[in-house]
Amino acid sequence: MRIIIIGFGNLGRGICRAFVEKADFLKRAHGLVPRVVAVADEFGAAVDEKGLDLPRLLKIAEGSGTVVGYPGGKRGKLALDLIDEVSADVVFELTPTNIRTGEPGLSHIKRAMQAGKHVITSNKGPLVVAFKELDALAKKQGVEFRYSASVGGAVPVIGLAKKLLSGNEISEIRGVLNGTTNYILTRMSAEGLPQEIIIREAQELGLAEKDPTLDIDGIDTACKVTILANSVLGINAKLSDVKVVGIRRITPEATRLAHEAGQMIKLVGIARRDRLEVGPKLVPQGHPLAVGGTLNAVTFKLDLAGEISITGFGAGPKETSSSLLGDLIDIHRTLGG
Amino acid sequence: MLVKMVMELEDVPGQLLKGLEPIARYGGNIKSIMHQRERKTPLGRLPVMLIFEVRDQATLKRILAALKEAGIRVTQLGEREGEILTTVLLVGHIVHTDIRHTIDQLNAIKGVTVSELNLAVGSMGRESSARMTIAANDRELAQLAISRLQTIAEKKGLLLVTSVEAI
Ligand SMILES: NC(=O)c1ccc[n+]([C@@H]2O[C@H](COP(=O)([O-])OP(=O)(O)OC[C@H]3O[C@@H](n4cnc5c(N)ncnc54)[C@H](OP(=O)(O)O)[C@@H]3O)[C@@H](O)[C@H]2O)c1
Repeated sequence: MRIIIIGFGNLGRGICRAFVEKADFLKRAHGLVPRVVAVADEFGAAVDEKGLDLPRLLKIAEGSGTVVGYPGGKRGKLALDLIDEVSADVVFELTPTNIRTGEPGLSHIKRAMQAGKHVITSNKGPLVVAFKELDALAKKQGVEFRYSASVGGAVPVIGLAKKLLSGNEISEIRGVLNGTTNYILTRMSAEGLPQEIIIREAQELGLAEKDPTLDIDGIDTACKVTILANSVLGINAKLSDVKVVGIRRITPEATRLAHEAGQMIKLVGIARRDRLEVGPKLVPQGHPLAVGGTLNAVTFKLDLAGEISITGFGAGPKETSSSLLGDLIDIHRTLGG
Repeated sequence: MLVKMVMELEDVPGQLLKGLEPIARYGGNIKSIMHQRERKTPLGRLPVMLIFEVRDQATLKRILAALKEAGIRVTQLGEREGEILTTVLLVGHIVHTDIRHTIDQLNAIKGVTVSELNLAVGSMGRESSARMTIAANDRELAQLAISRLQTIAEKKGLLLVTSVEAI
């Protein structure tokens, strides 16, 4: 399979590392030979229709912060040109999230579909802004569109719901969908420290963004609720349809009072046909959603199976490459590979 | 609804069965039976305390009539309070926004009582936190109490954190 990667940060590099380390496995177990023919970041691009030398590309990108230094590398914002001009089967769209405009991911994805290329993305922006449009465009163009990594990171929330549970009617999905806030709440409860101090430390550890507003105020979780509502429940929901309360007002005392009553405070996203909501909730210890640290957890309420819960890492380049690679193999199979 | 009832039975074999039959006949679900031997009456009657669940008031009325017909004396009758316990948290200027008034508003609902309040006052300038346990006779009343509290919290600018299962 010929692959174009747009965005070469944590995840772009993460998926390339997986291609390198798992080359034998992918060929043996799935008959899949991924060939990365072009990579673009914000500064430029590297192209080789015969397949880029990934270990070399990774080394250059890690050293200089861009792929431009790869032999024959070009400078400039070249993503759209690559998508149009380089022949490939699949485009990975892995650029930063913008939840207002969806850009630059939205344009990348549309262009890729228009060019008849399958699309895999981890980027919530385009999904939140234009889910229906993209879904329809993919169908019209006859291309596959996968976005497993956009919700739950490594946790196969969308795949489980849309494939293995597809015999059920899903009445509710709820989950701890943001690792940063879960980490903050877990430490507040364990150490009784105020939020600001833990946020600062989380930033130093790379577990929180420089501007953690989207996480703390529940917007990131609301984006995921919106994506689940659209993709799994089939509701044409917008981000503004989600009633959102973040964790900003949660005090260390509140986490202690909860703990004394055998409960934990978790930021929970809830998607139901009649209501979309994000807010801090009390979760009894031992409950499927009572996961600590940066973990994510999701529970489905189903008419046949009852409740099913899954948990795992919601972020991290290696962990999330599990979902990206799963999407690629899924497309490979769908196409008869 | 849960009913607590004390009936006085003669202390001879077969009496208890006679007292339980009308409850079972109307679909009552008996949760516990306690003989109160230490409280035997001067006439040698034995008080038995029962807790059972019935669908509604009308069913309870039918059971009472049947007991009377069977000659069973019922000496105490009450809905057992606080069967459903719900824990919630509040964050904000809880004291300044008159916590007494908040509690009174909830207690004003028949079958609902605030049974516990734990307050952690925030340090200077910071918001306080509280854990409140609400006892309600049944699930609907618990739900009503939570939605009333939500309205109060919104008015008073408090953050209400409810259980993930309370949806
Ligand atoms: N990290 C995770 O574990 C995780 C998990 C799930 C979902 N996601 C989502 O996946 C996406 C990628 O995450 P990440 O952690 O890999 O982000 P990242 O490290 O910030 O990488 C983003 C990459 O996109 C590039 N880029 C920015 N604008 C571009 C443009 N116009 N054209 C081409 N490339 C452009 C950046 O280039 P420069 O470096 O040159 O600016 C960078 O290489 C985000 O939307 C994120 O929310 C991430």
